[in-house]
Amino acid sequence: MPKPHVLIFLAPAVLVYTAVMIYPLFDTLRLALFAADGQERVYVGLANFRRLFLDPLWSDQFWNALGNNFWFFLIHMLVQNPIGVALAALLSSPRLRFAAAYRTAIFVPTILSFVIVGFAWKLILSPIWGIAPSLLDAVGLKSLFAPWLGKEAYALTTLALISVWQFVGIPMMLIYAALLSITEEILEAGEVDGITGMAAFWKIKLPLILPSIGIISILTFVGNFNAFDLIYAAQGALAGPDFSTDILGTFLYRTFFGFQLQLGDPYMGSAIASAMFGIILVGVCIYLFGIQRRLRHYQF
Amino acid sequence: MTALTLENVSKSFGKVEVLKDIDLTVEDGEFIVFVGPSGCGKSTLLRVIAGLEEATSGEVSIDGEKVNGIPPARRGIAMVFQSYALYPHLTVQDNMALGLKQDGAPKARVAEQVAKAARMLDLEPYLKRRPAELSGGQRQRVAIGRAIVRDPKLFLFDEPLSNLDAALRMNTRVEIAALHRTLKASMIYVTHDQIEAMTLADRIVVLRDGRIEQVGAPMDLYNDPANRFVAGFLGAPSMNFFERLPGTRAGEVLGVRPEYLRPEQGGRLRGTVTHVERLGGDTNLLVASDAGEGFAVRLFGQDPTRVGDDVAFDFDDARALRFDALGRRMR
Repeated sequence: MPKPHVLIFLAPAVLVYTAVMIYPLFDTLRLALFAADGQERVYVGLANFRRLFLDPLWSDQFWNALGNNFWFFLIHMLVQNPIGVALAALLSSPRLRFAAAYRTAIFVPTILSFVIVGFAWKLILSPIWGIAPSLLDAVGLKSLFAPWLGKEAYALTTLALISVWQFVGIPMMLIYAALLSITEEILEAGEVDGITGMAAFWKIKLPLILPSIGIISILTFVGNFNAFDLIYAAQGALAGPDFSTDILGTFLYRTFFGFQLQLGDPYMGSAIASAMFGIILVGVCIYLFGIQRRLRHYQF
Repeated sequence: MTALTLENVSKSFGKVEVLKDIDLTVEDGEFIVFVGPSGCGKSTLLRVIAGLEEATSGEVSIDGEKVNGIPPARRGIAMVFQSYALYPHLTVQDNMALGLKQDGAPKARVAEQVAKAARMLDLEPYLKRRPAELSGGQRQRVAIGRAIVRDPKLFLFDEPLSNLDAALRMNTRVEIAALHRTLKASMIYVTHDQIEAMTLADRIVVLRDGRIEQVGAPMDLYNDPANRFVAGFLGAPSMNFFERLPGTRAGEVLGVRPEYLRPEQGGRLRGTVTHVERLGGDTNLLVASDAGEGFAVRLFGQDPTRVGDDVAFDFDDARALRFDALGRRMR
């Protein structure tokens, strides 16, 4: 039994965390096991999940949103994180002038609101009043322009790239910090060994920042599977065109709160939220137990 | 063949001149120690030789070849860093092999060189370990091993023992001396520790404020210093300087090492003991003299003198060194 003062000191944190995190989480999981029967709430066991995964009325939308979500995540992993690492490597080069200015410029979009970003990019890419068509026209590439946000084939990728534009500053900063923490003497030892430039990056710096890249990957995963706001701001809750940009967040929003003619269903909404929780939990567990244990953290 | 020649080497960082007109020749197989107080430029000089810094002016030649502008890896040098600077993500074996691999050396030669270095430094049981799993002394040996495998014409050591505890420092010092005898390679060693300098060096280079004060064999510097700085820098406790002894002219300074003072009734140095250090083998006394000049005395063996005792010492005039007002030796 811990001493009483330990409990007293722990109490505020535990109470606040329970009230705003643990209780809502478990209540959501509980709510997913009920359904509305007229005005009554009845216990239905796992029936909501059965409908979500198997009933075509729900499952088509669910699998569509899940698939889109994976694509959204993949774009971030393949575009945002490598660019973030590359930018950090460039920024940490001692010969780069105005590094602080670039660092700030690249990081600024991160602190902008989703609403501004979504709306601004909608305007930029608009075929009617956007500046993208005229900019492409100015360099003679107008033929490349398409209403990217309005085409089913491009819309999700375009939104993912907008999100990459907004958030590339975060991996950049984390990697930049990791690169700065590598002792100068190790790089000089490499120089004496003939390992300079690109070789120094691949053979010395990259292995030493792998733990940071791991952390960034898991942050990207959690962030992407919880994403909602950018899609909502740019495409609305229907995640058009024809649900091609629908991800789990927007699907959950429509289901839980209702949208236009669709009535809100807190029970099915909770089932979706529980499924999202499960997916993220599995992803994080794979990372923690499968990957992070193999990454070594180095002391310098 | 000369292993290293420095001609008029200067180095400035912006407006700060760190090295001023350094001239030095190191013969093949020599063990040279750069010694001096912090900020004297000894590490910078080593980095200029290594190629980690470029000399602002002057010429650096290694093994008869001018190396200004040539990157460190192609200068035929190997360096051991103060913090060891091992690659934390690589095993001992890979740490030693990385440079050769980068050079494109054939696998068989890499394996052979690593095995040879591991044998020489007793690292064989640890080849598969990473630096984090090694003790400080073992890491130090890996860093030396990484230098050996490159078969360099010139070894550079940057205060390699300063992160080790006293006992280990002594052992490693002996090992480095043995290594020098085995490899017969030219070595340059930077330290601020005069014991390391005295015990390891064939020749010592004493630096101050970016200039070479004196170059010579340890005992030559000890017995025959060119100026007051070198005289005071080598030896512990350091040399005593007297300006107010009877018989010294104005502006002249008399230097006497603490071990050359002998107790003598009515001697020229009289005073009161202010501190006693009993080291077992030696006893060091700090004395405030009646003339107002403090001095140190080193007595061999154990001595019963206590703080507050009135004492008197004298010395052989042949043992005293005379310096002028600018600190230059007067012969």
